[in-house]
Amino acid sequence: MSTSSVRPSSVDAGVASSLSSRAKSIEPLPLRLLRLVPGLLLLAAVGFGGKVIEQSIARYGKAHHLTLPNIEYVLWAILIGLVLANTVGLPKIFVAGVATYDFWLKVGIVLLGSRFLLGDVLRLGGISLGLVAIEITLALALMHGLGRAFKLKPKLTSLLAVGSAVCGVSAIIATQGAIDADEEESSTAIAAILALGALSLFTFPLIAHSLHLSDHAYGLWAGLAVDNTAEATAAGALYSDVAGRFAVLVKTTRNAMIGFVVLGYALYWSSRGQAQRVGNKARFLWQKFPRFVLGFLLISLLASLAVFTKPQLTALGNLSRWAFLLTFAGVGLRTNIRELGKQGWRPLAIGALGEVAIAAITLALVFGADRLFHV
Amino acid sequence: MSDEIGNSETIESGGTAHAARWRLSLDSWAVLLALAAAALVKLHILNTVKW
Repeated sequence: MSTSSVRPSSVDAGVASSLSSRAKSIEPLPLRLLRLVPGLLLLAAVGFGGKVIEQSIARYGKAHHLTLPNIEYVLWAILIGLVLANTVGLPKIFVAGVATYDFWLKVGIVLLGSRFLLGDVLRLGGISLGLVAIEITLALALMHGLGRAFKLKPKLTSLLAVGSAVCGVSAIIATQGAIDADEEESSTAIAAILALGALSLFTFPLIAHSLHLSDHAYGLWAGLAVDNTAEATAAGALYSDVAGRFAVLVKTTRNAMIGFVVLGYALYWSSRGQAQRVGNKARFLWQKFPRFVLGFLLISLLASLAVFTKPQLTALGNLSRWAFLLTFAGVGLRTNIRELGKQGWRPLAIGALGEVAIAAITLALVFGADRLFHV
Repeated sequence: MSDEIGNSETIESGGTAHAARWRLSLDSWAVLLALAAAALVKLHILNTVKW
């Protein structure tokens, strides 16, 4: 790695982004936007590169009458990003733009609302809400049991539990502030969740194919078991378009629960005098509530009220795909394998143990739900 | 990075506190951008996008 390049450390990026956003808030807006351009172009190039590879393989197979496996552009985009970030590193000029991948994820999810009728969202959301509640309860209990058994620091255990039960990095960052955990603990928890999320991208589709899971069942599983929203979306899209949509819906339901879980932890730690007291609980819940869930519901409502014509719905779906393309490129580009490994093996091993158990439990839940509700 | 939630809550001191109160989170910007895109599609401005 050259000295002029910076490997995108997923570990301290949360901290770095809050620091850099403070520094950048002094800069004029046009300059801040200009800074994003190189990284955005890189996201587009990597994502589009994935699309080109996918189409080239399909064309080659057709021309030579070969049956080649149809590997979605999602995997290619992530792989290109991973290779770039972990070999040559990411030059500083691209860092700010690449960090916007999370923004595009949310834009994509809101626009994806156009591909769901509100009635379906409420029906499927209701089913997934029940499953999400079971998943969160079991995951929290399991991670706390493991944390105690392996003598992890209690606050680190809380962060790992929230990260694996609710929604990955966002939940960890929200909880860190609420329970006054230190940055090292949250970096370790984030590293463990991201490393396991990256692994799930490659393992989940393989397991699901070997079990012949339906698109709906797989989407449900990915949404329940994969922790970070970007990885859950990518894991779903790797299987099929329908699975991707379902994974997003279930993951969004899980994300909506973040406030309640974080509030629970904040109350617990403040009752022990180790975190600030929570004032207005309703205000706390609203502050932690992911706004993009409301955007998703609003677009779904507009689509259900036939505000959009069929071609317009297609265009919105396509815009959502473009936004996800940028996201998937960012998932690979921000994953730094060496940095993730530096955080120590114990949290990673405990996280891995917990994740394997959660994946198995949620798979059983999905099989049960598939039979009960014919999801 | 991250699906950072509640980043609009960053506590700023002194004169920037007022500005911070009115600053939207990335989350809210994402919703606004998506709604703007939907409006542009509705107005047939973005309907030429092909996937």
